[in-house]
Amino acid sequence: MRGPAVRLLVLALASLVAAAGGSGRAAGPKGPWVNPPERFILGTGIPCIYQKDTASPTTVVGLFIAGGKSAVPAGLDGLAAMSTRLLLEIPDEGKVRDLMAQATRLSYSCHEDGSIVLIECLTEHLEEALRVASKIIQQPLISGLRVGRAKELMTANWKTEDDDAIAAARSAALRAFFGGRGYGSALFGTEESLKAIDRKDILAFVRRFVVKPNVFFCVVTDLERDAVRRLLEAAFDSLADGEAAALPPQEPALPETRDINLEKDTKQTYIGRAYALPRRGLADMARGTLLESLLGKGPGSRLWALRGEERLAYSVDADLTWTKAAGILVAYLETGRAKAAEAAKALERTLEELGRDGIGEEEMTAARTMARARFLRAAEAKTPRLRTLGLFETLGHGPDGAAGLLEEIEAVTSSDLSEYIRATLAPGRALSLTVGPAGTGRSPGGPSCPD
Amino acid sequence: MIGSRLKTLVALAGVVAGLGLVAPCPLAGAGPSKHFILANGLQVFLYEKHDLPLLHVVTGFDVGSKDESDATSGLVHLLEHCILFRGTAARSGAQVGADIRRHGAYFNGSTGQDLSAFEISLPAEYADFALRNQKEILFGLELGQEEIDREKEIILEEYSQMEDDPERSAADLVLQALFPGHPYGRSVYGRREVIETATAAGLAAFHRRYFVADNCAIAVVGDFETGDMERRVREIFGPLARTGFERPDFPMATPLKKSSSRRLERDVREGYLLIGFAAPDYNHSDQYGMNVLVEALGRGINPLLTGFLYGQRDSVQNVSMTYLAFRFGGAAIVSIKADPKDLAAVERAAVSFLKRAHSASFSRKDFAGLEAEMAAFDYLEMAKNQIRFATGRAEESGLHLAGSLVRYMLLNTRPDPGRYLDAIARVDSGDLRKVASRYLARSEYAAVSVVPKPPRSR
Repeated sequence: MRGPAVRLLVLALASLVAAAGGSGRAAGPKGPWVNPPERFILGTGIPCIYQKDTASPTTVVGLFIAGGKSAVPAGLDGLAAMSTRLLLEIPDEGKVRDLMAQATRLSYSCHEDGSIVLIECLTEHLEEALRVASKIIQQPLISGLRVGRAKELMTANWKTEDDDAIAAARSAALRAFFGGRGYGSALFGTEESLKAIDRKDILAFVRRFVVKPNVFFCVVTDLERDAVRRLLEAAFDSLADGEAAALPPQEPALPETRDINLEKDTKQTYIGRAYALPRRGLADMARGTLLESLLGKGPGSRLWALRGEERLAYSVDADLTWTKAAGILVAYLETGRAKAAEAAKALERTLEELGRDGIGEEEMTAARTMARARFLRAAEAKTPRLRTLGLFETLGHGPDGAAGLLEEIEAVTSSDLSEYIRATLAPGRALSLTVGPAGTGRSPGGPSCPD
Repeated sequence: MIGSRLKTLVALAGVVAGLGLVAPCPLAGAGPSKHFILANGLQVFLYEKHDLPLLHVVTGFDVGSKDESDATSGLVHLLEHCILFRGTAARSGAQVGADIRRHGAYFNGSTGQDLSAFEISLPAEYADFALRNQKEILFGLELGQEEIDREKEIILEEYSQMEDDPERSAADLVLQALFPGHPYGRSVYGRREVIETATAAGLAAFHRRYFVADNCAIAVVGDFETGDMERRVREIFGPLARTGFERPDFPMATPLKKSSSRRLERDVREGYLLIGFAAPDYNHSDQYGMNVLVEALGRGINPLLTGFLYGQRDSVQNVSMTYLAFRFGGAAIVSIKADPKDLAAVERAAVSFLKRAHSASFSRKDFAGLEAEMAAFDYLEMAKNQIRFATGRAEESGLHLAGSLVRYMLLNTRPDPGRYLDAIARVDSGDLRKVASRYLARSEYAAVSVVPKPPRSR
């Protein structure tokens, strides 16, 4: 057999991170939850973010591993995703049988600043799920045969990503802003990089990052904290000590070529504009999150007018990816060939107007409300909430990060945000993205993104 | 109000999640709930969920692509768009959008074979807005030709987007091929020419007929107190008129007479294959067996079909299986991603395996001798646990739960279906073989593959 089902979550962690606040319930430093998340250190020395949630008899455990795309050496694109995938290879039928019968789910995802191994199960099976999963993860079977199979899976994954215009454009934006290295490397590799990766590279990556100083747990469960602590300490007792990996932040930079075209013979053309946002702390995240909510996320947003009023597209939205160093915001639409040039022009006009004029009080209030509500919805189910909590820990904000972001969002004024938008959306800061038939998606009269 | 058939409804039954997927109703252990029917026939389900200060409202109508003809194919979908985005007698579409945003709402709708559903999810403090907004857009629609023409352009863009998406377009075609001659055989997206020529009068007639209180069900899930919410719902929706609407009846879908395989070329890099078989309808007693069978064959860690196909072709990378239960039929659909050059062989292998699934050993108890029993994979136990897990997961999402309740209220015809998980627990290995024999072994299938265009024609 091939091992566990793997869910590949290419979408940015950051899309889960909107803003929140109170709505009848205290929105203070502990955020909107009945049971706020807390952080403690296991006896093994590994940090754990824990949140109790009795909404269902299920548990989700995330093992967050530092590194991710940021730790991928030049030319070895896909190494982080492939290494994380290989942690989940099940070595013998007995363990497969155990996991199968319990319906425990093992999956992974790889992101800009780290990877996540997810263990999801009925809580009644947690002890057994952790026992089996921890053995697999702590003693990974990384044979040449399994590396070969993992490469096939990576190849299929990047092909699937290529077939999805939104995913392909997001990858292209990251590639451009980060020069094709680290955050800008191809998540699932390229034909060349997959050929270049060998078993030794994977072993070295695992030995460097799957060690105590470079991992933490995040758990959302109906179990009590002490029970979780006891189970994690018992199961993950043999992770190596290792050294903390020092990964300097990778700052984005606009490339010389700001017009990226991915040619595809499709009926629709994807047209996007990408911007690098600063991320010095929660205050920057609050502003970026508000801008994302202002531009996209449904009826009433700035981009929605291109659909509702101008009938230029069915799909319009904005998405934001946070890394330790920066945010990457992409505003986009998808439209038919005949409307592509007009739609590109309208998208530019919308962004320019917002950048030039900023926003008023009414729109500010709406953006704040929308951002808060989006956060609540994203935090409703256990697994997406775990990803959000893990992101805040990864970015250095800890278990109170979400609550802190809410406070920052409440503190942003319309003039603050207008100033931020003016700087962020300034002409010359945009990267133009087009996925579709050759020649479509360029606004009439010249380059999409003037210097 | 009319009835109060529930409390018992709460302890009930297999309800159906979004997109028609059969999913368990997770209402077993949670907070207060109430089902009632207003004097005008509108069904209401209230369900308290207090973990976050959110409110989710799903409003469904028993109208979908099944209610269209060739001449009206696509109108329900167009109507759904107009209701959501083109305003009412009191507010323009832009004003509705601005109000939605001011209240931090997620706002969407969906059209299926059986039902149309409209969702709003927002902070619980805006409950009154949610209910009044949904009532106004759903029952106070005012259609002008200019607004309809604007929305047509957007629908046609959606149509193109669906055609570009290999999995969505293949799924649409598989469902059409599975139900030839039956109302389910029409695409929910409809026909371009019908959408292009749709008139305000035609849409208004559709709307007047189907978007009435006695063809409607509302589920409200979230952070509220039941008594207060019931008062609000009665006050807001109670004055709607009862129209005497009678739901049209449709024949049950008949088994496919001849298998079909269709191949589409698109500008894709991966190969996509969908294979559909007819399956039990929403109220059929075989639904439980089919739910478990689909889990055993194509979901979770190393299910039977997945394991088999991985052993056949190295290029097979993703296999999953889904069961769609409609009111008058059903579909079991296998979705596979593989190297395009292997798709034909993968299709043959998958179909051959599924047709033999009725002789599979699903449980350890199917094996003779203790050693054999201990060594065997227990697909039956796995499948049941996966369903229990999915049930738990469904309890976490209020919008999902509300959608399931609406589907249950509109699709269920069984007087007392009992608890879904109890029925799942009773399914045994023999039931799986019986269902596999009835729906896979003896049935024809419809397959659609999407492969890359040859380089010269790109």
